[in-house]
Amino acid sequence: MHSLVLDIAGTLSAAANLFVVAAGLTLVFGAMRIINMAHGSFYMYGAFAVTTVLGVGAGWRFWLALLAGAVVAAVAGLTVEVTVIRRLYDAEHLTQLLATYAVLLIFADIGQRIWGAGYRTVNPPAVLASGVSIAGVQVPRYQLFVIGVGAAVGLALWLMLARTRFGWLLRAAVQDPESVATGGTDLARLRTGVFVIGAFLAGLGGALIAPMQSIAPGMDVSIIVSVFIVVTIGGLGSVAGAALGALLIGLAQTLGAEFFASWAASLIYLTMIVVLAIRPWGLLGVPER
Amino acid sequence: MSHCQPVRPRHWALATLAAAAACTLIAACGNSSAGSASSGGTVTVGESTTLSGSIAELGESGLQGVELAVADLNSHGGLLGKKIKVVSADDAATPATGAANAKNMILQDHVVALFGPVSSAVAAAEEQLAGQYKVPIFFHTSNDISLMGANFNPYAFQVVPNTDMEPRAAALYLDSEVKAGKIKTPLALGTFAPNYSFGQDSVAGFIQALKYYNVPFKIVSQQWPSLEATNISPNLSALIAAKPSVVYNAQFGGDLVTFVKQATPFGFFKKTTMLSMLNTAELAALGSQAPAGSIAYDRAPWFAMNEPGVTAFATEYHAKYHQWPDTWAVLAYTSVQVWAYGVKHAGTFDAGKVSAAIAGAAIPTIRGTITIRACDHQAEIPEYVGTVASSPSSLTGFPLWTPGSAFAAPFSKIGLSCAQMKAMQK
Amino acid sequence: MHTDSLASSAEHDQVHLARPPARTTAGTVACVVVMGLLALAGVVWSPAALANLQEALGLVLFAVATNLLLGYGGLVSFAQAAFYGIGAYGIAIGWLHWKLPFWLGGLAGIAAAAVAAVIVGVISLRTRRLYFALLTLAFTQLFFVIADNQTAITNGATGIFGAMVPTWLAEPQGGYYFTLVVVVVVTLGCYAVVRSPFGLTLKAIRDNRERAEALGVNVYRHQLAAFVISSVGCAIAGFLFAIYSQSASPDLLSWTNSGEPIFMAVLGGMHTFLGPVAGAIVYFYAQSYLTQHITDWQLVLGLLLLVIVLFKPSGLAGIGADAGRAVRRLRARTGGRA
Repeated sequence: MHSLVLDIAGTLSAAANLFVVAAGLTLVFGAMRIINMAHGSFYMYGAFAVTTVLGVGAGWRFWLALLAGAVVAAVAGLTVEVTVIRRLYDAEHLTQLLATYAVLLIFADIGQRIWGAGYRTVNPPAVLASGVSIAGVQVPRYQLFVIGVGAAVGLALWLMLARTRFGWLLRAAVQDPESVATGGTDLARLRTGVFVIGAFLAGLGGALIAPMQSIAPGMDVSIIVSVFIVVTIGGLGSVAGAALGALLIGLAQTLGAEFFASWAASLIYLTMIVVLAIRPWGLLGVPER
Repeated sequence: MSHCQPVRPRHWALATLAAAAACTLIAACGNSSAGSASSGGTVTVGESTTLSGSIAELGESGLQGVELAVADLNSHGGLLGKKIKVVSADDAATPATGAANAKNMILQDHVVALFGPVSSAVAAAEEQLAGQYKVPIFFHTSNDISLMGANFNPYAFQVVPNTDMEPRAAALYLDSEVKAGKIKTPLALGTFAPNYSFGQDSVAGFIQALKYYNVPFKIVSQQWPSLEATNISPNLSALIAAKPSVVYNAQFGGDLVTFVKQATPFGFFKKTTMLSMLNTAELAALGSQAPAGSIAYDRAPWFAMNEPGVTAFATEYHAKYHQWPDTWAVLAYTSVQVWAYGVKHAGTFDAGKVSAAIAGAAIPTIRGTITIRACDHQAEIPEYVGTVASSPSSLTGFPLWTPGSAFAAPFSKIGLSCAQMKAMQK
Repeated sequence: MHTDSLASSAEHDQVHLARPPARTTAGTVACVVVMGLLALAGVVWSPAALANLQEALGLVLFAVATNLLLGYGGLVSFAQAAFYGIGAYGIAIGWLHWKLPFWLGGLAGIAAAAVAAVIVGVISLRTRRLYFALLTLAFTQLFFVIADNQTAITNGATGIFGAMVPTWLAEPQGGYYFTLVVVVVVTLGCYAVVRSPFGLTLKAIRDNRERAEALGVNVYRHQLAAFVISSVGCAIAGFLFAIYSQSASPDLLSWTNSGEPIFMAVLGGMHTFLGPVAGAIVYFYAQSYLTQHITDWQLVLGLLLLVIVLFKPSGLAGIGADAGRAVRRLRARTGGRA
């Protein structure tokens, strides 16, 4: 029982955090067919921005810092979209991968200039710092908070895509960009908007995890592989798929830690291999033409 | 990936090949023409280490230690009348890059000594080159025992406690706590270590040492998260669910900080004694969240070594870099002093003579006199162990060790014997 | 005007499967001259310069072999470093555990890489485009984790170091000539593959998969064969790295290491056969210069990469072609006197 409650909370919070980051990546891919390695940089910048805003203190500034992390990433995203991504819309995936990898390298060095090479930490606000008892087991409140944010982001994205004109335009822009453009929509602005939302989510994911881990250079590269796996398993472009992929990876990590300790790290890659061997377009993906 | 551009190159082949040939030629000339870098009253030493990515903190700290040591040497007139210059480069924690850096430092900058990288694999690659080109190399951060064992060569020196010594020191300290009645036995032991050679070796060494000291224990959980894992919560849940009384944690740096942050809300440190490599940088990063009462082992904690030289160094370091020196800076500073001693006593920068002068010598350093053992070039230095304090130090503003808890595990008790090392050497 | 040379095999936009490859002199002569220079270098260059060139030549093979997939097959594989690493580990593991002679360990490593490539290829080639790239990335990570974790076999992250090749190969000259011969032979082999009917079919698939299928080509089998051939080439490059460095360590199998030959190919021009050769050499010397002289080397490297990808996607080959065109224009204007 003890172990089960902890495992469920741990799996869900890890999955929720991965989902927030992965949702941004897959949203951008779904709307623009752009694969973005620099998504990892946005995530890292989100986390570092929190350390800048928060310093050692916590309190009400935590909520501001969370927002600031996401906004810093969004601004970085806007810059990248305007300078680089715009030139890549009709490019091949290889070109996109290389160009955005170049951006990741550039951001890594700029980040180290701004925030240094050392580890930084921030504390969660007092209200989220302690544990709460569930079925007699102490579970960190912050894990529950992360799960809540993950769910809220999922809901917000669903509402945006399914219920707003913006969402309708996005879906239309993928299927038939020309008619959207002739319908009077500024396609370039639409794309910029989506990219900025994607970066915002990456930054939010980084900001969200900031109180739970050390914040240091290299976060960009280590997250990007994880989220690539999540979005590929789920199906590129599918937000629901990203949620499913994040849950699957969280579950694989938990089962790996419980049952195959020394092979745990292999398990997430094996999961992806098995999923794609069975469904080459991911769980909820659609075949590209 | 389709539709290649219809370029129709006719002569570009010639142009490109010529360009490529020119490039290699230029590079080659660059290599062979630089011949007089060590004249003009200056000698150069090199430090290729990790300066980007997740372990950059360790590399940067070591580099600052080397730079400070060299600055101090220069302010006292340099060595044999020559000023010393440091060249540094980032190895990106990759052996091939580290080796390329070291090779270019040897061949282009004509360095007279190399100082060590962070990663042991990079260290092994550089050690190979140091042997091949006959340049003394000093490891102050990477500490795999194979560097002085299977890969030993006469130009390499280990100025840091090795991977074998650390877990023994931790076990020795634990043994004394058990004997003092502070920790109950049998231990319900959990281990938590990154799943690669360093973590695996450390855990195996710790368990072996517990058996050696006859500390009764029962293993309740062994967790092997990945190095730099983005998500350790599954491993953490499994560990906590097993209710260990003592956890040996072989993580370090950012990973260890993450562990502490994620374990604290579970009340982990109230129920469990953790042994880990919480160094100055980690204690500083954690600040008020540092886990009071847990046991820390450290290769060279400036605040607990009780050496006036080290204290003076820490003050100087703090004045220059506005932070307190991490272990790596202290060790790196010492490694430069070891080299300088060799040069002074050999009266030359010649690698063979410098190495011979160091092997077996008792060398005065900021941390007192240390002996470099002749059989394996390992510095006979202790590993330090202490208990994390519950309140911040008035000097640093973050918690250090509880006063009086510091213990220097002596080399004679934790180091392997010469016979054991000789058996590993080829 | 079909002046196809070794250098310009990318001209088959319209593929004629039946046409025998025509050969002319310019490129061939250039290659022979460069070969002569490289052979001479072994005698006149300093050991240090030779050692660098030896490392660069290994990367040339890595890039050329990777480009079989990338440039000719249109397949972005992030698994090539895994095969490169397996090739290197062959020597190292054979030496560490059984004291095998280097050639035997090397052959075993290359064979192991071929087997691994069949497995990876069979699964990965069922997916397309970006999914293929990301699935091969997962495979690389899997192999990396195994090399990193299974310490009993691989020595783990510490890697395997030691005198694993005979003295004559460890000497700069011996190592250099051995590497040169292997790289030239395997590169010519790759060229033969590219120019064979098989290679032409591969390009036909790259340019229009559906049409190739309609013509009755078994796309999957052709791509699988290409994948295995490329991977064996990468494994041979890894084998050469182990000879050069007398070591093997897990980072050889990291996905970022898979990115390097891709970058080299793009830098040189991936739609030409010799582009990756030039790309590898320029990249090797540029990168080692940057890491040693510039603190923010990632920033500079990133900017260079960005500029090439955005503004000169045809790479050095494209620059060469532009230069050639400019010279011709100039020559025409000055009446052939320039």
